[in-house]
Amino acid sequence: MADAVLVQPDTSFIKDVMASGGGDLKKCFQCGTCTAVCALAADDQTFPRRQMIAAQWGQKDRLMGDPAIWLCHDCGDCTAQCPRGARPSDVCGAIRRAAIKHFAFPAALGSLVANPKALVLLFVLPALIFLAIAFWAPRGAATPEAEFANVFPIPVLEALFFAVSGFVLLAFAVGMARFAKALRAGGGGGLVAAALVAAVVEIATHRRFAQCGAQRQRRLGHLLTLYGFLGLAFMGTAVGMGTMLGVMRTPLALTNPLKLFANACAAVILAGVLLLLAERLMDPAKRAAGTYFDWFFLVVLAAVVATGIGSELLRLAQAAVVMYVVYFIHLVLIFALFLYAPYSKFAHLAYRTVAMAITHSTFRSPGPTSPVVTNAEC
Amino acid sequence: MNKPGVYICGGCGMGQALDTAKLSKLAAGECKAAVSRVHPFLCSPEGVEQIRQDFAAGAVDAAVIAACSPRVKQEAFRLDGQAIIERVNIREHVAWCQKPNDEDTQMMAEDYLRMGVVRARKTEPPEPLAEPVSRTLLVVGGGMTGITAALEAAEAGYQVVLVEKEAQLGGFVATLKKRFPVLAPYTEPASDGIAEKISAVTAHPRIRVFTSAKITRTDGQPGMFDVTVAQPSGCVAPETPGSAEEHSLKAVLLRAGAIVLATGWKPYDAARLGHLGYGLTPDVVTNVELERMAAAGAITRPSDGRPVESVLFVQCAGSRDKDHLPYCSSVCCMATLKQATYIREQNPEARVYIIYKDLRTPGQYEKFYRAAQDHPLNFLTKGEVAGVEKGPDGQLAVTVTGSLLGEKIQLNVDLVVLAAGMVPNAADGEAIRALEEATVRSVKAETAEQRADAARAAEQLKHHAGTQILNLTYRQGPDLPVLRYGFPDSHFICFPYETRRTGIYAAGAVRAPMDSSAAQEDALGAALKAIQAVELAARGRAVHPRAGDITYPAFFLQRCTQCKRCTEECPFGTLDEDEKGTPKPNPYRCRRCGICLGACPERIVSFKNYSVDMIASMIKAIEVPEEDEDKPRALVFMCENDAYPALDIAGMNRLRYDASVRVIPLRCLGSLNIVWIADALSRGIDGVLLVGCKYGDDYQCHFTRGSELANQRLENVKETLERLQLEPERLQLTQLAIDEAARLPALIEGFMDRLRKAGPNPYKGM
Repeated sequence: MADAVLVQPDTSFIKDVMASGGGDLKKCFQCGTCTAVCALAADDQTFPRRQMIAAQWGQKDRLMGDPAIWLCHDCGDCTAQCPRGARPSDVCGAIRRAAIKHFAFPAALGSLVANPKALVLLFVLPALIFLAIAFWAPRGAATPEAEFANVFPIPVLEALFFAVSGFVLLAFAVGMARFAKALRAGGGGGLVAAALVAAVVEIATHRRFAQCGAQRQRRLGHLLTLYGFLGLAFMGTAVGMGTMLGVMRTPLALTNPLKLFANACAAVILAGVLLLLAERLMDPAKRAAGTYFDWFFLVVLAAVVATGIGSELLRLAQAAVVMYVVYFIHLVLIFALFLYAPYSKFAHLAYRTVAMAITHSTFRSPGPTSPVVTNAEC
Repeated sequence: MNKPGVYICGGCGMGQALDTAKLSKLAAGECKAAVSRVHPFLCSPEGVEQIRQDFAAGAVDAAVIAACSPRVKQEAFRLDGQAIIERVNIREHVAWCQKPNDEDTQMMAEDYLRMGVVRARKTEPPEPLAEPVSRTLLVVGGGMTGITAALEAAEAGYQVVLVEKEAQLGGFVATLKKRFPVLAPYTEPASDGIAEKISAVTAHPRIRVFTSAKITRTDGQPGMFDVTVAQPSGCVAPETPGSAEEHSLKAVLLRAGAIVLATGWKPYDAARLGHLGYGLTPDVVTNVELERMAAAGAITRPSDGRPVESVLFVQCAGSRDKDHLPYCSSVCCMATLKQATYIREQNPEARVYIIYKDLRTPGQYEKFYRAAQDHPLNFLTKGEVAGVEKGPDGQLAVTVTGSLLGEKIQLNVDLVVLAAGMVPNAADGEAIRALEEATVRSVKAETAEQRADAARAAEQLKHHAGTQILNLTYRQGPDLPVLRYGFPDSHFICFPYETRRTGIYAAGAVRAPMDSSAAQEDALGAALKAIQAVELAARGRAVHPRAGDITYPAFFLQRCTQCKRCTEECPFGTLDEDEKGTPKPNPYRCRRCGICLGACPERIVSFKNYSVDMIASMIKAIEVPEEDEDKPRALVFMCENDAYPALDIAGMNRLRYDASVRVIPLRCLGSLNIVWIADALSRGIDGVLLVGCKYGDDYQCHFTRGSELANQRLENVKETLERLQLEPERLQLTQLAIDEAARLPALIEGFMDRLRKAGPNPYKGM
């Protein structure tokens, strides 16, 4: 009996998965249709059938160290074909949410973000910070034109956001370290630089995403969102650094190439987010399966984009009071987006990249053919 | 009959394919028919009226109707129900399957007509059985099946005697905590509901209940079973052991017309499940033991009475296993899912593991399975339990291989439940008889070696001692013969409830593994069969599959040589024997298959409308062309139950086959008397093809063993062939199911090719 693995179901994990999107988990009777239709599952990878029974049996440790759950694009092919209505893609989503919570540093913050009851609290904290800045922060001489810096001084915001960024990077680092440990415990290989490059290429092109059958249009929305976000993140950092070093002064002129680029990025991300929102709202099944965790991230992201664009337009219109209020909301949301990134769905950016790099060689490479079920084992 | 009239139909294309006038001339001339008529539409009122008038005028005493298959238009040609009617199938077997207006087609029809007239001439008016019969039904076993059968039969107006060996009615179902779901949405176990049924049975004016009773003797035959029921008299102190019990019994002699055997099942012997941990600790229990525990109160760990936090159910424990029960008991999956709800009821946080080969929850029970599966703390996986050992903290460590989780896993649990299967509570009548004979031979055999062999045989059979249920006084043994896996059912698809003892019907778990809902349905079916049996017996008619037949075999005993073939080969134990071994017929037990007729080397068995002589005369009536005509002839004996209708279907589908064959239907291929083969071959017929039903484990023979016996007899025919110096290719036996009509043309062509290769029969023209 020495070679047998002792199985002790983590019953709270099962209930957690079932309560957060994986409610149909137990319906799975292991027919393997999901694996047959999954574009990711290679012949020797019974994904996501194995993950389904592992979740049914409360095998939390095994799943936390399983990179496969991060490779899933939530395309929904398995859910569409499941003869039993077990919704494997939603179960995988719930497992990912559990993993983000599991690896969260500090753990309390992870639990807080995952808890719908704490929603108000999540926004009260940044709101108080920005109200304090608006009313009490030392500020420079007011400019003749209405500018955000008149209410929210740039040096204060910069200090705040760089501090938050530092904290978020630390939280991600700890989370990734924990994830890597779990992967090793689960028998996963180490991170290879070449594989990381391949993973980045994959992410940049979304080639696997293109194989999604059930929700083909999601790829474009996701791609636009990703590129828009990366552009804005780069711009934000660059402009922040520039102003801090004194080589730039905001607001940049509309004709400034950097400004043009940033506005283009804003348009791109707006289009992406709208596509993703539309896709969610149009599909009744997807709408029904949507969880707090999903919606939190998507809505906050959409609101950040909307208020960002709104703030700029209002500033150009010089609608003084409204513009400050909208900008305040924008700041609160962007703060929340960043601070809670390691604990929200945002974190998939990091976890998926690592998982992709580690499993690059073992999973089915994207190809033009649809998944083929081989009977070699039968 | 002396004055057969021939009536030829020209409808349905027969008039176009055949020269009916020529046929009519043949009938009047060569066949010497009393009248011979052709009608363009014989089954029309005018056509039938003509036949009726000829009977009424005394012009004919039998009608040979050359028209469609005897399987159709039975009502139209029934006349008064008494008249002797012979059907000659020139539609499906000639006009529809042969080249129209061809010489060979016409010859085929002519031969069939000759054979039909001979058949009519050799038929005698039947003399139906007319003894007084009892319509009382005996139901053996007072569980769910027996109670239901008794109630249903009584409600249908029949007197019922219900015999139960235990002191209480209710059987296994009464010991249950809950039953499987019986109503939508099928997600909750149901209460058993047996108490109401027991009161209904006890109070019913037409049901007489014997509890703590056993049947010590069953004599007779359907319609007149004389049953001795023994019951404790109640006057002797119960602690008196052994033989005193015999004295305390009072015997009641009853007469019953038919019997429903509803003796249920017993759990598979758990002592043989040591490999699954049974006996290791008290915490390994069977599903039946768990049910008892649940019915009595809380489910706890039997070893220390501690509450149960985790349970593991081992499905197919000793089932679907060649070393144990090779079959699926069909209820263990549902029993486990039901018992999981017991565990859940008392501890919502308990973990329930179910390790299965396949979960089988047929029909609506799938909904119950789904409900159980949905519970977060029910853990189900396919897998094989490789071992059960003592684990930490007084738990049991169960190793499972081949699980869906991938690797070999170990589970530590408080309780292991073995979902063991059902064994029928049936007695193997033939084995009991073999044991009795071996016991006698072990003392009385001539040589020491024979005595030793007999003693060995007796030793092997000794577990059958004392297992009698019905204690039939039949020559073939005191109980029903058992078939596959020890169940006494005769054919589970075509003839459920039929056993190999006419008038005795098996129902419920003794017939096939089943749950109480299925047992209730079974009880209805078997009760109806028993009612049919007494009603048909009262009319002197046969039961299924020759339902309504009023003929039965007569034995010309002056010529009997006491060879015992008929008494041993009858699948239904119809014949008993006197001391000398002369058969004693019990015609009410008879199914009219004619296997005795086929068995008898002295040819002393005959029916009024089916005899060795009749078939032999029909063979003689076939015109065998001379060798130089190059027209081979083959005789085909076809079982009338499957092969003959298949040939009809071939005709309906206008499948064409060689016109050299002449088909004679037999009641069962088992009624084939090998003298017919010698008769045919010595007349110059080139070959004989025998088409019967599948035999063996999944037999389709309507008389259980007929086609198998025909096959055995064919071994003896090989000698006949050698004696006649004929090639063995001239004889072929094959099996055909009713849905295999498409195979027939190739089968016939293949046989004719064989015969053509073998060349003409040298006995032609002799």
